[in-house]
Amino acid sequence: MQSEKLTFQTENLDGLTVVRIAGELDLEVASQMRSVMEPLMELSDRKLVLNLRDLKYIDSTGIGILISIVKARHARNAPFGVEEVPSTIQKLFDMTGITPFLAASPNA
Amino acid sequence: MRNDGTVTLTVPAKAEFVDIIRLTLYGIAAKMKFSFEEIEDMKVAVSEACNNAVLHAYDHSQPGQIEVSFTIMNEDRLQIAVSDSGVSFEQVTDRTTSTLHGKSIDEIQSGGLGLYLMQALMDEVEIRSNQGTSVILTKRRLAQETV
Repeated sequence: MQSEKLTFQTENLDGLTVVRIAGELDLEVASQMRSVMEPLMELSDRKLVLNLRDLKYIDSTGIGILISIVKARHARNAPFGVEEVPSTIQKLFDMTGITPFLAASPNA
Repeated sequence: MRNDGTVTLTVPAKAEFVDIIRLTLYGIAAKMKFSFEEIEDMKVAVSEACNNAVLHAYDHSQPGQIEVSFTIMNEDRLQIAVSDSGVSFEQVTDRTTSTLHGKSIDEIQSGGLGLYLMQALMDEVEIRSNQGTSVILTKRRLAQETV
């Protein structure tokens, strides 16, 4: 069963890559998310931002992927953050404690 | 406690069926007049229980089934039992819960988040391991103003 459950739209701006993620980020689409994000995680000279405005659902699998992006970007000393987080998803970020790791450095 | 009805759904223990469980949960919880936020909480908790069964219960060469029973109790309480007949939860999964609070980037990891979310988002979580594993999740609807 292949569905457009999770879609990605990547926008390259000056020194900044924004990835808009729409749909449901769960176990079924975890490998799809990883393969889209892996090449982008490598780009250490650009700031990487995930726009989550149209993300409808995330579970611990999705949060685990965000943790791996946080770690990969930190290892490269490259900025990473999320923006426009829906309130239902922000609640899960706050509960799990990932929120402080998702704030992009302002001057990067 | 009065049982006001049970709906049971059996799906293959595969990741692509977990959203079917969420859709069914949404239908039942909305009918019971749970709030949007309560339904979102239950969606995550039930999915975490299903993910455990998908990932840990069965050998990949022989995937089994997940049975999910939704029992409406006393009109305002929903009990969701997620059961598999595979390897028991405690043998394959760390039963400790864990969050990222107070940790450094080098220390953070995703292990333990699923079980933590189930406990944080539901009123009760019970894990029974016998022939397979059952995770029993219960949430009570908060009293709402009568219209």
